Amino acid sequence: MTKNSAAGTDVAVRAGARTRLDRAPLFAWLQTIGIVILVAVILATPGFLAGPSILALLTTVSFIGCVAIGMTLITISGNIMSFALGATVGVTAMVFILATNRLGFGAGLLVGVIFGSLLTGLQGLLIGSVRANPIIISIAALALIYGVTQVFSEKGTIYADQGTVPALAKGKIAGVPIEFVVFLVSAVIAQFILSATRFGRNLFMVGSSFRAAEAVGVITWRTITGAYLWAGFFTSLAGIMLAIRYDSANMDYGVAYDYDAIAAVLVGGTAIGGGGGSALRTFAGAMVIAAVQVMLLLKGLRQEWQYLAAGLIVLAVIVLQTRGSGR
Amino acid sequence: MWRQLAGPHWRPFTVLAACILLLAALDAGQGAFLSAATAYSTLQIFATVSLVTLGLGLTMMIREFDLSVVGMYGMAGCIAVLTGTEHPWLGFFLALAIGLAAGIAQGFIIVRLNLSSVGVTLGGLLVFVGIAFVLTESRSLPYDNLAVALLLNERFGGIFSIRSVVALAFFASAAMIFAWTRLGRDIIAIGSDRRAAMTTGVKVDALIIGIFAFSGLCAALSGVLLSYSLASASPAGLADVIAPAAAGAILGGISLGGGTGRPLGIAAGALTLAVLRSGLNAVGAPPFVNDIAMGAVLLTVAVLDGPDLARRLIVVRRLARRSPTA
Repeated sequence: MTKNSAAGTDVAVRAGARTRLDRAPLFAWLQTIGIVILVAVILATPGFLAGPSILALLTTVSFIGCVAIGMTLITISGNIMSFALGATVGVTAMVFILATNRLGFGAGLLVGVIFGSLLTGLQGLLIGSVRANPIIISIAALALIYGVTQVFSEKGTIYADQGTVPALAKGKIAGVPIEFVVFLVSAVIAQFILSATRFGRNLFMVGSSFRAAEAVGVITWRTITGAYLWAGFFTSLAGIMLAIRYDSANMDYGVAYDYDAIAAVLVGGTAIGGGGGSALRTFAGAMVIAAVQVMLLLKGLRQEWQYLAAGLIVLAVIVLQTRGSGR
Repeated sequence: MWRQLAGPHWRPFTVLAACILLLAALDAGQGAFLSAATAYSTLQIFATVSLVTLGLGLTMMIREFDLSVVGMYGMAGCIAVLTGTEHPWLGFFLALAIGLAAGIAQGFIIVRLNLSSVGVTLGGLLVFVGIAFVLTESRSLPYDNLAVALLLNERFGGIFSIRSVVALAFFASAAMIFAWTRLGRDIIAIGSDRRAAMTTGVKVDALIIGIFAFSGLCAALSGVLLSYSLASASPAGLADVIAPAAAGAILGGISLGGGTGRPLGIAAGALTLAVLRSGLNAVGAPPFVNDIAMGAVLLTVAVLDGPDLARRLIVVRRLARRSPTA
């Protein structure tokens, strides 16, 4: 929460600052090795590599995955998480369907992406410029989005007109669902932004120490707003893909995506306190959670156990990962 | 006097009074708002979220944030409904004990491992939701002991029910403990400056664990009371509580930086939201008005509480002054 400054001193008092620097890479490596072993076990599960289950996995993981890529940027920027991304998925899907019905598919895509980016970017502007509490801003945005969409969509679900969405958009590229291709490309783009641009470098600086970043002349509000703009961009991709897949839009689409997304971010090893992390690791995190869930399903456990497994994984990762790295 | 009413200590009550006056004016003497029926439904809504607000508010007071209340709220209801058909008290106490234990566990992890409370309670939230799904097998469970449901909601004294009286009593005792014992001062001290509090001999770690335990207990209690009185529990349906709880705490004078607030203020904040919801309902406003109002309030408070607001305003003012000459 809002305790970066006070907690910093706490950590120094309690844990000793030395452990911070020394142990962080070690934990990252341990985690990577753990993930590799886990993937090996999962791949060895009978039936896992059979076509249907893996294709279903690749499609479902992509929706949450795109949100998780967006969430990664928010987490790295030091603003923990947003509770409004799930609602953004739903409302972007709606805007996309409405725009597609009026203006056609291409314009619909554009409108949807711009809408989602601006909606989230606006929250980033408030958070970045006056340093408003990110959790509260996102909860406020959540309530506002649900309230305003109720005004416009009394029937609940909006359907796309016949033939507006080209069949091509639901197809596969080289046997891989198009959703997964989008997810993979998103992860690569986000990783490029993070590690190869000045904005990305500033983002890590702002996330690890807001005051230090300000002192070296980073225009912090611009960086934070940028992080939220990109987060909105990747989130809107999830909304649009859901709308294309189901030929309709509903505010229920994004429910609980916030939690699934932050789970993927944390399992991927992005620090909850900000300042460290990567989009490709979030990609891996999302895949690991999804794979564990499919494995549980294949082993005959009921679907509910997936939720519990995801929760336990996240709790374990938070306890292990942030150990010694402070708050 | 005006300054005092708008000051942090009395502001929650001023806002509450303003809301009541506003709704009474909207009602314009039709008697739909200022009636015993509206008062009863206000208190019923108050009973549903106010205890979660109290728990969450106390964690915010010490500059932490207990996200897990949402999960505990749902899980406790499911546990109580599953175990309490024959013996309602058994389900009640079991759910409360689990809430307390889970709160202690989370507080312990936060203090001992020196972790962010948002992270730990996020993990807790996901685990609780998972447990609720596993216990209920993803279904909505009916609670067959209808006598209990009727008893909890039975109206007496014109506006009260057992459910709302329990919530009110909880608030009253919390307010008394807060005002008349060292505990209240210690909590404020932890929220204002944790290191200073530690230096002056406040048992910081124990208090943090205690507050998370209390928060878990509060969430469990509201969950049980709600599930019993609705005669059903579902793992997913109760999740929509974090926004009203956070809004209530903030309206109740909890600053986001910690170190301010008191239980009576939180009660006023939760009551304000309950009045708004039942009042808007009574005067015939569509349901989304409530969501929008709540979102707008949260947004406004978050921006006004932003530490850099003054700085930005200076820049804006300077630009405004410069622009006519340029």
